[in-house]
Amino acid sequence: MKAVKLGMPLFMILISLTFLISSFSIPRATLGNANGPLYFPIGLSIFMLVLSVIYFLKELKTLNEENEKVKALFEGRTLKLIGVTIALGVLYAFIFETLGFFISTIIYLGALLFYVNGVKKWLVNVIVTVAFSFITWYGFSQLLGVSLP
Amino acid sequence: MEGFLLGLDTVLEPMNIFWIIIGGFLGTIVGMLPGLGPATAVAVLIPVTFGMDPTSAIILMAAIYYGAMYGGSRSSILLNTPGDGSAIAATFDGYPMAQKGQAGQAMAISAVASFIGGILATFGFVFLAKPLANFALQFGPAEYFLLMLLTLSAIVSLSIGKMVKGFIAMALGLLIATIGIDPQTGVHRFTMDIPHLTEGIEFLIVIIGVYAIGEVFYNYLSIDKKKKEMERMGKIWFTKDQWKRSKWPIFRSAPMGFLVGVLPGAGGTIASMISYSTEKQLSKKPDEFGKGAVEGLAAPESSNNAASVGAMIPLLTMGIPGSGTTAVMLGALIMLGVRPGPMLFENDPGMVWAFINSMFIGNVALVIMNILLVGMLVKVLDTPAKVLYPIIIMLAFIGTYTLSYSTMDFFLLLLFGIIGLFMKMLDFPIAPLVLAIIVGGDMEQNFRMALTSSNGSLGIFFSSGISIALIVITVLSLCYPLLIKLLKKKQNDSNDDAMSA
Repeated sequence: MKAVKLGMPLFMILISLTFLISSFSIPRATLGNANGPLYFPIGLSIFMLVLSVIYFLKELKTLNEENEKVKALFEGRTLKLIGVTIALGVLYAFIFETLGFFISTIIYLGALLFYVNGVKKWLVNVIVTVAFSFITWYGFSQLLGVSLP
Repeated sequence: MEGFLLGLDTVLEPMNIFWIIIGGFLGTIVGMLPGLGPATAVAVLIPVTFGMDPTSAIILMAAIYYGAMYGGSRSSILLNTPGDGSAIAATFDGYPMAQKGQAGQAMAISAVASFIGGILATFGFVFLAKPLANFALQFGPAEYFLLMLLTLSAIVSLSIGKMVKGFIAMALGLLIATIGIDPQTGVHRFTMDIPHLTEGIEFLIVIIGVYAIGEVFYNYLSIDKKKKEMERMGKIWFTKDQWKRSKWPIFRSAPMGFLVGVLPGAGGTIASMISYSTEKQLSKKPDEFGKGAVEGLAAPESSNNAASVGAMIPLLTMGIPGSGTTAVMLGALIMLGVRPGPMLFENDPGMVWAFINSMFIGNVALVIMNILLVGMLVKVLDTPAKVLYPIIIMLAFIGTYTLSYSTMDFFLLLLFGIIGLFMKMLDFPIAPLVLAIIVGGDMEQNFRMALTSSNGSLGIFFSSGISIALIVITVLSLCYPLLIKLLKKKQNDSNDDAMSA
């Protein structure tokens, strides 16, 4: 809980520092104003850094206040649901081009539905998976002319 | 007038009518889902517009948008769960009406109020858009930069109580927009030698990540909680007495909502809240508000729909979106090669007029759909969320692929989904991030172009009446939250005084 509340401002501080430091390694421009590409990134990352530090201090003050939503993240199977969705998404990225749209979509959506909706409702899951995969494949590749693997 | 007829002709093509109906229908359905609003609806359905001609695409997207606005109030009334900010006011009196067994009446009056609000605002659009486009023709790079700055700061300061987080989100968005090759000098920025990043991060991927994946993750937080019981519908039409009570509130709220919608950064949420509190103050029976007063539902419904039409004006005439949803639409339009701005009215009047006409027809189609088919539509609320969320995830992935034909972007999509989840969980406003990513590139280029033309002097930002006015409004908008705080404090103090006396 506290890790999330402090983690976010720290993450923002880290991001703004990363942008700030790498701003200085942006090559000078050979066209126009040599420093032109630098103004915006440097100004913004300093602005963001200052605000993130303020945010961090604010969170530090209210560290012991409960946040219902952050609590819900650690309750039940929320974390698992998010984890499984991401893991399957990564898998999808790897199989999408080799197995093709249709098969990989059936695998991703099917697995996700079985996990989220439960094994008991297998019939609904199967029907939705096949119907969705077919309709999107038909709609995109045939009607809208999008080329899918 | 000529343009109007030309546009009408385009809209009446069977294919465009078909898109209006489909868009309105799909928008209503996504809008109805608890926890999902118009921005998500448009974001998820963007890929459908690819391959369409731009006129049909904008007609479809607008139909999705106001479809979602109509649909949003269904879940507010029946489940007390608004899909997004602009549907919150509909829960105040809509849900109590449903609890009293008047859900059908509430939905009918909300559909009619939305309809009137939408139609009146479309008239407003006809009269205001062209003059505003002409006015915007006077804008140079300095003015554009300041206008974007105003829009961003207004959207942050209007998310009251979240100023620091809002500005962090904005800065993050603007920084993300700088990734890639700088168009003025060809310098690579923050690409980390990854070839995929040289063209920058596609903003639609960020949008789909945050609004679709992030929203689903966020809804995972409550997915296993017991489902709320839906109230019974009852008859789907309102009584004469209810109409008499709501008539004036509806007509009053439409112009107000429209004007709020035109303002940068404001939009449906603020419009509906303002008209709710106005009606409460005007009412002879203010104590009925919150307990199922029909005008307390009708007024914000009219106003938020009018605001959604008003929000199209800065989008189309200046290319500057004033809200999360219009930002998403701008992203999609740029994808399709349409550059909204003052020249759009000169270069492509056919498209603008077709769009205006489509709003008239779309509102007619939606009011019919929402009254006749409401029984069928609310069945969607019965569809288990556990089936819908995986489908939305899939749509997000497919949409992403159609943008770039690269599975690399799936990782970006997931990354922004996670960022979106944490932002929502920790009360960050999302709109400043999305808006900043979309206008960021232009904003920087305009800033530098202005400086180049003035040989590096910042004086250019104070050189015209328009820019000074924009700066003053920006400063005022930043003071607005402080003002509210002060007022509240004063009110509390005087209450305390009264108590002690």
